[in-house]
Amino acid sequence: MKKVILLVVLTGLISFLVLRSEPPSETGLIALPGAGGSARLSELLSDQGLEGYAQAIDARDFVFPQDHGPHPGFRNEWWYITGNLDGEDGRRFGFELTIFRFSLTPPDSASSADESAWRSNQVYIGHFAITDGGERQFHVAHRYSRGSVGLAGAQADPFHVWLDNWNIQAAEGIGKNWQLHASDDDVALDLILEPLKAPVLNGIDGLSQKAATSGNASYYYSITRLQTAGTIRINDEEFTVSGMSWLDREWGSSALSREQEGWDWYALQLSNGSDLMFYNLRRNDGSQDVHSAGTLTLADGQSVYLSRDDLIIEVLDTWQSPRGGRYPIAWRIEIPQYKLRLTVDPVLDAQELVTTVRYWEGAVDVSGEQDGALVTGRGYVELTGYAGSDVPR
Amino acid sequence: MPVLFRASFGYLLRHPWQLTLALLGICIGVAVMVAVDLANESSRRAFLLSMDAINGEATHQIIAGPTGVDESVYANLRVEHGVRSVAPIVAGYVRYADTTLQVLGVDLFAEREFRNFSLSGRNENSVVGSRTGDGSAIDVISSILTIPGALLTSERTAQTLGLESGDEFRVVASGREQDAVLAGTFSQEEQGRLDNLLVTDIASAQQWLGMLGKLSRIDVRIRADDTALLQRIEAVLPPDTQMLSAAGRTQTTMDMSNAFLTNLSAMSLLALLVGVFLIYNSVAFAVLQRRGLIGVLRALGLTRGQTFALILLEGIMLGVVGSVLGLVVGVWLGEQLLYLVARTISDLYFVVQVTDVSLETGSVVKGLMAGIGATMIAAAVPAIEASSFQPRLALTRSVLERRAGRSLPIVAGLGLFAASAAVFLLMISGDNLVAGLVALFLLILGFSLVIPIAVRSCSRVLAPLAGRLVGTSGRLAISGVGASLSRTGVAIVALAVAVSATVGVSVMVDSFRGSVSEWLGNTLQSDIYVGVPRGAMDPDLLPDLVAVPGIESYSTSRRTWLETEQGRVRLVVLRMAPGSYAGTSIRNGDEEDVWRQFDEEGAVLVSDPYAYRNNVGRGDTISLRTSGGDRAFHIAAVYQSYDSNDGAILMSRETYDVFFDDPTINSIGIYLGENADADRVMDQLRQVSAGRQALIMSSNARIREMSLNIFDRTFVITDVLYWLAVGVAVIGILGAMLALQLEKARELAVLRAIGMTPGQMGGLVTIQTGFIGLLSGIAALPLGLLMAWVLIEVINRRAFGWQIDMSIDLGVLLTALMLAIGAALIAGIYPAYRAASARPALAMREE
Repeated sequence: MKKVILLVVLTGLISFLVLRSEPPSETGLIALPGAGGSARLSELLSDQGLEGYAQAIDARDFVFPQDHGPHPGFRNEWWYITGNLDGEDGRRFGFELTIFRFSLTPPDSASSADESAWRSNQVYIGHFAITDGGERQFHVAHRYSRGSVGLAGAQADPFHVWLDNWNIQAAEGIGKNWQLHASDDDVALDLILEPLKAPVLNGIDGLSQKAATSGNASYYYSITRLQTAGTIRINDEEFTVSGMSWLDREWGSSALSREQEGWDWYALQLSNGSDLMFYNLRRNDGSQDVHSAGTLTLADGQSVYLSRDDLIIEVLDTWQSPRGGRYPIAWRIEIPQYKLRLTVDPVLDAQELVTTVRYWEGAVDVSGEQDGALVTGRGYVELTGYAGSDVPR
Repeated sequence: MPVLFRASFGYLLRHPWQLTLALLGICIGVAVMVAVDLANESSRRAFLLSMDAINGEATHQIIAGPTGVDESVYANLRVEHGVRSVAPIVAGYVRYADTTLQVLGVDLFAEREFRNFSLSGRNENSVVGSRTGDGSAIDVISSILTIPGALLTSERTAQTLGLESGDEFRVVASGREQDAVLAGTFSQEEQGRLDNLLVTDIASAQQWLGMLGKLSRIDVRIRADDTALLQRIEAVLPPDTQMLSAAGRTQTTMDMSNAFLTNLSAMSLLALLVGVFLIYNSVAFAVLQRRGLIGVLRALGLTRGQTFALILLEGIMLGVVGSVLGLVVGVWLGEQLLYLVARTISDLYFVVQVTDVSLETGSVVKGLMAGIGATMIAAAVPAIEASSFQPRLALTRSVLERRAGRSLPIVAGLGLFAASAAVFLLMISGDNLVAGLVALFLLILGFSLVIPIAVRSCSRVLAPLAGRLVGTSGRLAISGVGASLSRTGVAIVALAVAVSATVGVSVMVDSFRGSVSEWLGNTLQSDIYVGVPRGAMDPDLLPDLVAVPGIESYSTSRRTWLETEQGRVRLVVLRMAPGSYAGTSIRNGDEEDVWRQFDEEGAVLVSDPYAYRNNVGRGDTISLRTSGGDRAFHIAAVYQSYDSNDGAILMSRETYDVFFDDPTINSIGIYLGENADADRVMDQLRQVSAGRQALIMSSNARIREMSLNIFDRTFVITDVLYWLAVGVAVIGILGAMLALQLEKARELAVLRAIGMTPGQMGGLVTIQTGFIGLLSGIAALPLGLLMAWVLIEVINRRAFGWQIDMSIDLGVLLTALMLAIGAALIAGIYPAYRAASARPALAMREE
């Protein structure tokens, strides 16, 4: 569930391109040059120009591997991979590699008079982070590009999504193993991912409703377990790593509801073979949005829809960002229905991505019990809408 | 000392004419120097600033041959090799509203590390194109990326062009109209640096400039210590590309104009030199006038040192006041000159947009130092003279004049020495331009020092003759010039130098123009020229054009730049029409053999300036970066060309097609059949091209006329400068004549008393000034011709490599003579009037 982050990221794009000298914007607020105030980011993109785009209104048939590829009729889309890895010496790592696709104009609006190969309404944005549990360091990089002249793009066959030299692609045969590469000045990542479970459709048959309005939804599936092996480079040191990754795929054209401020997203892989995804949408008034939802994927691949009322979430600890804003970083999560009680703790407190916008996305450890049996696990949590505020809401 | 000051300034204030003229001399001298310096520096600065804004943070640039860098090179660097600090650029020029605007096509996503285009606040109100958003920054960016022709300009440029955000308009690029829309503006803080610049998406720029698939360059940003990255990039570049230092490229471009700017500076020094003569004249005269007073002061105990200090200080005060005035005038004059300088630089070297004169501290300090320093030197001689007075002698005029007379041979000897030094310097200095200019100044100085002794000889010989022709007043007038050399000598020298400068420059420019004109006559062999300004001719249009009846044959031309570490070089590619070879005049070698090598063996020709600058000639080889990498080309001959200041390489189309992957043709030359009518053919050509591409068509005669116009424009600033020098000289004569008269008041009064009429008195003065003018003119002619020779054979050669045939027009010499006499007579009007109207009784009562 990364809808809002796309908007946050786009806001980042503006500041990236236009406001180079300005500080990164806070809490999704962007100071428009000379506007004499600030505009809510959600207002920037919420209502305008949605005609011409495909909308996520009805449930659809997902076809794999084709649906791993792009859906250019929709305005936004992302390939979102997070994972927890261990070095050969037991050093703990986490990674996030995300490539967003965004259409600036509806698909049929391209000018026919334009012959330049550079012309494109497709913008690609990449975020890459590595959590180094050993050195307790957090490394972040981000990229922007247009989707033309081979600089960035997405295709289904053979599966390949790329931005500069960051790649998510089919390693051998479509829909089987995937290969990841990303690098920046001080870090690099080369991984092979092997899916252990089939794609899980989130929401109702993959249609994930985000607000009451029709079409204010997205198509959303996950592969909750991908066996992962490869290397991570930090500065000049290379580590052979292995572990487990998580893929989130989502596309749609809807915009952010004005009342929604941010969300907490959890993706947890448990030792008993089940995986829990839940997003908690937070409203401006601090309450939990009714559209908050999740999916519990059992060891056998069966999945169960979770609504807002199925979970009890309690914040155990917070972390004050040195750049402003206080994030919750530890929780107790309870799903009474399944007698599941979990405690979630961050691998590292400071896992805030300081790109042109700020949000927290980090590796977490899970411990708890189900039905009296001990359960452990690992996962990733994403927190948006906190930067700049002092109190978690 | 206060008493001395009062004596000194009291004197100056009682003689306001003297004071004014002395100040004016310094003032104009300093003003011209400061003005030229400011104009030069402002042009340079404007260029550097705009390059700075355009290059941004780029440390290197990847460039390729005439068609640019293949865009796949860029994607390859990023995607395959993970190089991030690169940005693609498509640059060129378009026209809108009679203004040439620079287009910078960028990929906004790659710009972050390079340039900073801060959007201005007004964008919030703009509605771009068909979008109905709130005109926020994301809309502007989205427009730039998705709307063909959407662009950004500085607020000031938008105002100048009369455009507002959201306005749609049409620009002309490569002779074709293209859609454009102003998506937004940069904030005002970037003022000046980004004026006349259109920033657009790289896709729009490619479309407009006909560069589909190509980039003008790739900007690269590499940390100075990151040689690994540098090598990594170089290793993957295709052979037709090269990576050059961005600063180096800017420098070599700017260096092209150095010789031109140096010449301007030298010319401004000429005005200062004439100014120095004036200052000397004024101070020396003020000393002479007060010889009695100085004698008394010395008798009262004023030491030599004090006397020296007093006079020098007086001079310095004049220098300071005059120089400060000169600065003020200079800044104003600089603004006027700036336009001329910038236009010439744009005509000859690179496009530079200068809007304001920037007040450089350096220029101001230089001007002050030069003004005050020159005054000190000019005042030192009279100060030494004054301090050497014997108080007892009471300094009779005759003693002084005798002393001056005795020193004439010494001065002349010094002059001969300076001239010899100049010749010696010319012989040993090789190609050094500054040494050539120093030699020129030494020559002028040396020649000037010989003038006084020549004047004395002339007046001695001519006085009896004048007596016989005009009578007593004539004899008195002529002998008076020789007898009062201590004052008239310097005025004559000043006028002679100024007039000789007009002779020298005129002869040089005329010779140059003659050579260019003759060359144009030879070169412009076609009857009609058809081309696209700054662009390529539509390849589909070409066959239709040349199919127009009446056209017998045609030649094609491609003009482009090749870049090297040493700067860019003009490459002219010709497919010659049969029989058009005579249009290129070959300096050396057997024509038939040269053309065979040119056509069949891939040899090239190089122009005079190229040969001179690069020290190459017939039989040598030069290395050029072709599509397949560096390749050596044989030079078949050097050819005459005034085409490019930096020199040009001439290559046959056949050779070009083999080594460069570029079918572009910029213009064609059309040869008409026997009975074809040029106007009718041009009409038909227009009909054929209508709606497809806007072509510029010119007849042979028209091109010639336009070329000569540009040539003339180039020398407008030269004209302005030497007229300023003449102005300074006229003031000098005026001052000298007034001084002479003042000093001779009693003598003249006696003449009046013994029966001379006011008319005769006025005539006496007029004859005297006329004679001064004549002598100046006569002295100016040989000096002027000498200057012309040095300018043509030394300065122009060293600065630009031009080969100019010197031709002397008698008219120029006569004009110079008339100018000298006229200037002197004009300067003499007021003194003559005063002499005629002086009341003898009053003047005689002086003591």
